[in-house]
Amino acid sequence: MANLSTNFSQFLFEQCTNKEREWLEEKVKSNLLDLMTAFVAAPRFLSKKNISYDSRSRGSLISQLTSFEVNGWNLVRLARVWLLLHLPSEPKEQYIKNIETLFDTAELNELVALYSALPLLSYPTEWLPRATDAVRSNMGFVFDSIALQNPYPELYFPEPAWNQLVLKTIFNGKPIHRIYGINRRRNEDLSIAVFDFIGERSAAGREVPISVWMLISGFTMESMIPKLFVMFSSEVQTEKEAAALVCYESKDPKIRSLLTKYPDLELSIQNGDLDWSKLEPIPE
Amino acid sequence: MCQNSNNQTKNPSHFESTDPTDESPTHRDLLWEDYRNLIKDMRFFDPHIHMVSRTTDDYQMMAKAGIVAIIEPAFWVGQPRTGLASFKDYYSSLVGWERFRSSQFGIKHYCTMGLNSREANNERLAEEVMEILPLFAYKEGVVGIGEIGFDDQTALEEKYYRLQLDLAKKTNLPVQIHTPHRDKKRGTERSMSIALEHGLDPSFVVVDHNNEETVKSVLDQGFWAAFTIYPFTKMGNERMVAVVEKYGPERIMINSSADWGISDPLAIPKTAALMKQRGIPIDVIRKVTYQNAIDAFAKSGQIDVADFETESKPDPSAKFHGNSILRGGQQPVMNKNSLLIE
Repeated sequence: MANLSTNFSQFLFEQCTNKEREWLEEKVKSNLLDLMTAFVAAPRFLSKKNISYDSRSRGSLISQLTSFEVNGWNLVRLARVWLLLHLPSEPKEQYIKNIETLFDTAELNELVALYSALPLLSYPTEWLPRATDAVRSNMGFVFDSIALQNPYPELYFPEPAWNQLVLKTIFNGKPIHRIYGINRRRNEDLSIAVFDFIGERSAAGREVPISVWMLISGFTMESMIPKLFVMFSSEVQTEKEAAALVCYESKDPKIRSLLTKYPDLELSIQNGDLDWSKLEPIPE
Repeated sequence: MCQNSNNQTKNPSHFESTDPTDESPTHRDLLWEDYRNLIKDMRFFDPHIHMVSRTTDDYQMMAKAGIVAIIEPAFWVGQPRTGLASFKDYYSSLVGWERFRSSQFGIKHYCTMGLNSREANNERLAEEVMEILPLFAYKEGVVGIGEIGFDDQTALEEKYYRLQLDLAKKTNLPVQIHTPHRDKKRGTERSMSIALEHGLDPSFVVVDHNNEETVKSVLDQGFWAAFTIYPFTKMGNERMVAVVEKYGPERIMINSSADWGISDPLAIPKTAALMKQRGIPIDVIRKVTYQNAIDAFAKSGQIDVADFETESKPDPSAKFHGNSILRGGQQPVMNKNSLLIE
C-alpha cells in the first residue's frame, strides 16, 4: 500500500455520494476476495460520472509521483485504482498472483483501470510484460491507458519497448505530445525508425503529423538532407518550421547550414517565437 | 456434432436440423435498396447475435440498417473446446475485444454469460467452467446468464442448466434460454418448468428460438418469447409476421442469432420492413424489434438507453478525449462499390 495517500482518498471521497463512500470503505475493510470482487463490481455501485479535476488537485494525488494525473477519468476508474492500492503487497508472490488474476479476467474498462494503476502498484518492474502487452493492444482505450498520460512507460520501459510505444502511437494516429517523457526519452534508434516511417507514409501518399519531426531532431544524418529540402520548399508553413527546427537543433554542420537560407525562420527560433510547442504543445 | 456430415452443400447451422428442407429464405433475397425506405428512421436492438463469428462488413451493414445495440450470448463456437483457458479467453473476448470492435461501428455491445448446452456434456470441463463463470457474470455490460438450456436433453445438460439458473438468481440477472432444435416442444416445456421450480420470476426469463408450436405456452406462463429469424432451420420472417398478427407484440421479440452458419445479421431490419409492408402498426414493430428486448434485459441494471438512443447517427470516427478509437487510423466506412482501395 506504499502508494496510497490520504490526498488520493480524500480526492476520491470528494467525488462520491455518502452511499458510494460507505460502499468503498466497507469493501477495503473486507477480505481479499471481496476486495477483488469489488474491483469488478464497482460499476454496479458507483456512478460513471466524469470526475471534477482541476488545477488544485493536479500533481498532488500521489506525492511521490507528481506526474500521476487523472483528468478525463470517470469515478469508476478512479475508484478501481484506489481499490487496487488496498491489496496487501506482502507476501509478494500472492500480491502478484492477485493482480495477474484481475488482468486475466478483466474486461475493457477493468483493463484500463489496471494499466492506469501500474505506476502506483508495488514491485513496478514485475508489470513490464503486462505493460508492453497493452502497447500491442488493438483496443483503443486499452492502448491509451498505457501510452497516454501514464508515467509508467517513461519510468520503466527499456528503450526498444519505449520506441515501439511511440511508433505505435504515431501509427494509431494518436497525439504523441500526450506521452509522458516524449521529449526526455528521444533517442537515435527512434529517430531512424520515425524517419523511415515518414518515408513509407510519404511513398503511399499519406501524411504524418508534423510534430513527429521533433523525435528526429537532435539525431539527424546526412541522408535526411533531401527530405529537408523538400520540406523547406513546401507550401505548408508548419513543414518549413519543422525543417528549420530540425536544422537548428542538428549537431551536423552540413544540416545546420541549411538554415542560413531561411534567416527569418532562424530568427524566430533564436527569439523563442518558434519551438516544437508551437507545432504541438509538449507538456514537461 | 454435425449429424449430417455427408451433406457438403450446406453448412449445418447452429440449430442443425435433422431434416434440412429446401425452404427458400425469402428475406435473404431482399436487397438493401428494396427495403431501406421502409425502415427509414427506425432503430433496432438485436438481443441475440454471435458477432465473434461475423465480419466487419456485417457490422457496417447493421449500423447502416439502424441496429444500435446488440446482445451477444456466450455459445458453442462450432467445435468443442478442450480446456478451461479457451473458455476464459472466449468470455474475455465478449467483454473485451468484441465489445470494442462493435463500438468502432457505433453499435453498443452487451453479452450474456453462460455454459452452453452442448458443452455441458463434457463434465470435467463443465465443472471448471462453473468455477470461473461467476467472475464473468458480474462484469459490466453482462445483461444475463445465457444462452443456457437443452440440446440433446441429457442429464448433464439438466445439471448445468439448473446450476446456472441458481447463478442467475444469485446475481439477479435475466436468463436467456436456448431451446433445442430436436424435440423442441418438450425441451421448451421442460426448460420452463425447471426455471419455475428454481423460483425464477418468468419476467426475468427469455425463452429463445420459439415457433408457432411453442409460443402460446411460453406467453401463457408469463415468459418472454423470442423468435429467431434464421434461414432453413428456424422462423422465416413471413411466418414471423403471421405470429405477430396472431399474438400481438406483448413479450415477443425477434433476433437474428446470426453466427458461423448460413444466417443473416440483417434479419431484424428486414423483418421490420416486411411488417411495415404488411401494414403492421409502427408501435408494434418497435416493440418486437427494439423495446421488448430492452425491457427484458434492462432488468440486469446494465442497460442505459442513453448509450445508444441518440437522435443523430453515431459517428464512428468520433474522437474520445481527442483520440480516434480506430486502430491505425482506419476509416470505418469505405466505399465497397469502388474498385480503388486507398
